[in-house]
Amino acid sequence: MKIGNIRLTKSTKFLTLLLSSTLVAVANAAIFYSLTMQPQVTVSTPVLKFSSAPDEPSGSTVYDAWCRLTAKSYPNATLTYEQAVYINNTDGSNAHSFRLRHASITPANGSSSVGNWTSIKFIVYNSSGYVFSLNYTVSAPNWILQPISGETSYYSIPQSTGWWVRVETLSPAAATAGNVCEIQIEVDVQE
Amino acid sequence: MLLPELFSLLSSDLFLMLSLLTCLLEDRFPKSVPYVYQIAAVMGFGHLAVSRMFLSVFSEYMRFWYNIFYLATALANIVAVNLYLALSKNRWMLAKIWTSAVTFPTVFISIVFVYNYTYIQGAAFPMLMLNLIIVLIVIMLGITASLLLSPKLLGKEQRR
Repeated sequence: MKIGNIRLTKSTKFLTLLLSSTLVAVANAAIFYSLTMQPQVTVSTPVLKFSSAPDEPSGSTVYDAWCRLTAKSYPNATLTYEQAVYINNTDGSNAHSFRLRHASITPANGSSSVGNWTSIKFIVYNSSGYVFSLNYTVSAPNWILQPISGETSYYSIPQSTGWWVRVETLSPAAATAGNVCEIQIEVDVQE
Repeated sequence: MLLPELFSLLSSDLFLMLSLLTCLLEDRFPKSVPYVYQIAAVMGFGHLAVSRMFLSVFSEYMRFWYNIFYLATALANIVAVNLYLALSKNRWMLAKIWTSAVTFPTVFISIVFVYNYTYIQGAAFPMLMLNLIIVLIVIMLGITASLLLSPKLLGKEQRR
């Protein structure tokens, strides 16, 4: 009787623990599955940021994720903003790749106003020198982009490093003062 | 992508396994031990529930550390049970079986998961420190296994 009772007690205990274990394991698996299926979109600051540079054109606005440069252009003279804006990789542990991509320009192709500019160049430099550029040159009445696709290749900026954009503008001798060209360039960053 | 909560899931299952095994070997352990391990496993559920509730609040770094701590606790318990069997109960054969059937596989699987996770996450976590901890665990496991597999050596050490 005693042995039978002990066996019964042990098996009952084991069965109880087994059922309890199954319950806990299934609950854990369910909650873990729901975690893996939970999309997470966290608002955070960009890893690649713009920041003000020494030769930033006056009246420009520079924020982390976007900037507006109000550059000038002189007739028959190249105007260079050596360090117009910085592009910093604030990620302390990973390099990130980015490129410049043309989005829009006014005056648009075909407009007679296009003839008020000869070239507008955005050239990216690092401490070793030239890296890449996105250039707008004029063959009136059209803009010609270089690269012709309107987008550069991706270039990897090392961790905790700052590169800068050099802006060069040139207008023809017959350019009319007061004309404004607005260029929108996207900076595509690979996270 | 691996989530750090995987360690909690694994640890909770390890505690459940410990609970069932200590229940099967109940004459070698205090009677309350299986239930204590059940409670420890339920704490794993708590870990996961908290992670789920505060997923957007807790950083991945923080989640990683509290989950890895829970995993380390589970592994420490497995090794402790192994040592308890070997040293307190002098059940060498059982301790050997426990080492090869429970301690080694669980530690090995855990190391693989941790390594894989840190590899995927890149340099976001202090890899060097983790590597040192893992190497330390493997060395300790090796020493424990060698002691358990040759109890005569241990006996000699104890007589000194």
